[in-house]
Amino acid sequence: MDKHNRDELLLDWQERVGAARQECHPQSLLDMIPYSAFIGAQAKVDDQRLLYWLDKRASNIGNPSLPAIHGGVIGGFLELAAAIEIIYSLNVTDMPKVVDFSLDYLRPGRFKTIYASCKVMRQGKKLVNVSATAWQDDEQTPIASARCHFLI
Amino acid sequence: MAFDMKMALVRPALKYALERNGHGAALGFTLDKLERGETHLTFPYREDLVGNPITGVVHGGTIVSLLDTACGCSAMTIQSKPSVTPTMDLRLDYMRPAQPHKPIYVEAKVYRQSSNVIFCRGVAWQDDRENPIAHCVANFMKVDSKSIQFRSIALKKLRRLMPWRQTSVNDGEQT
Repeated sequence: MDKHNRDELLLDWQERVGAARQECHPQSLLDMIPYSAFIGAQAKVDDQRLLYWLDKRASNIGNPSLPAIHGGVIGGFLELAAAIEIIYSLNVTDMPKVVDFSLDYLRPGRFKTIYASCKVMRQGKKLVNVSATAWQDDEQTPIASARCHFLI
Repeated sequence: MAFDMKMALVRPALKYALERNGHGAALGFTLDKLERGETHLTFPYREDLVGNPITGVVHGGTIVSLLDTACGCSAMTIQSKPSVTPTMDLRLDYMRPAQPHKPIYVEAKVYRQSSNVIFCRGVAWQDDRENPIAHCVANFMKVDSKSIQFRSIALKKLRRLMPWRQTSVNDGEQT
């Protein structure tokens, strides 16, 4: 990709990020990322924070005999949620780059909607640490918790 | 190396289960090598899995899925009685960004197993194996339950194809 094209895409991206923040509509950020449509991730502003969810769909199943959601989908979803959290709530201009990602699976992901919320634990000049939690029935019984570092 | 009868049976079943079902089918990778405790897979570049619309790089979540699949597959096959292994945790380090329009190769290997836990390492690269895009460690639980052994899952599937035998559901479990 040539540089001119990249600059244009970046400008377009920044414009849309600005619009999404102004309208309080985080879903429009997800709409720009093809991966989020692939797993079916959605987001909304809920009670002063961002709430992400993933409706059940057959293409996200990892173990058909239970059935359970693929661990990779839960990981990808939390990583996506953490990135959106940074783009939406911090003053960043480019896409944050993920450096590392650590995920603990606490319970199996049953074949139903998964919810997630994130918290920025620390923001430095270069590095941001975000923690993300996923749950299904009850926020107090999470199915997975993740922690990731992003370069901004 | 002696011929491994169990692996010869498990290999095609696992290949089918991972490549043609659920999320594996949606991702569209191919399992190139499947040995006891070692898995190699190839993932072609796909535009609908892009995570960064500015650069066109695939989303990190795709790499999580690939490495989780490869590590899980290695953990399942290392056991003397292959069975489903729940993931305890997974840690991924992204060493450098993936390049768009290039396939991603993934290799995962079990490097240690204790009586309860299986320790796995995986690596993803594009051009050069020595210069990987991501590295991961994943730990899996060994669950001592017959119902999740490949053998009983396969028997259950077979029984579904034989409706006249549905009355004797517990046949396979006792052996």
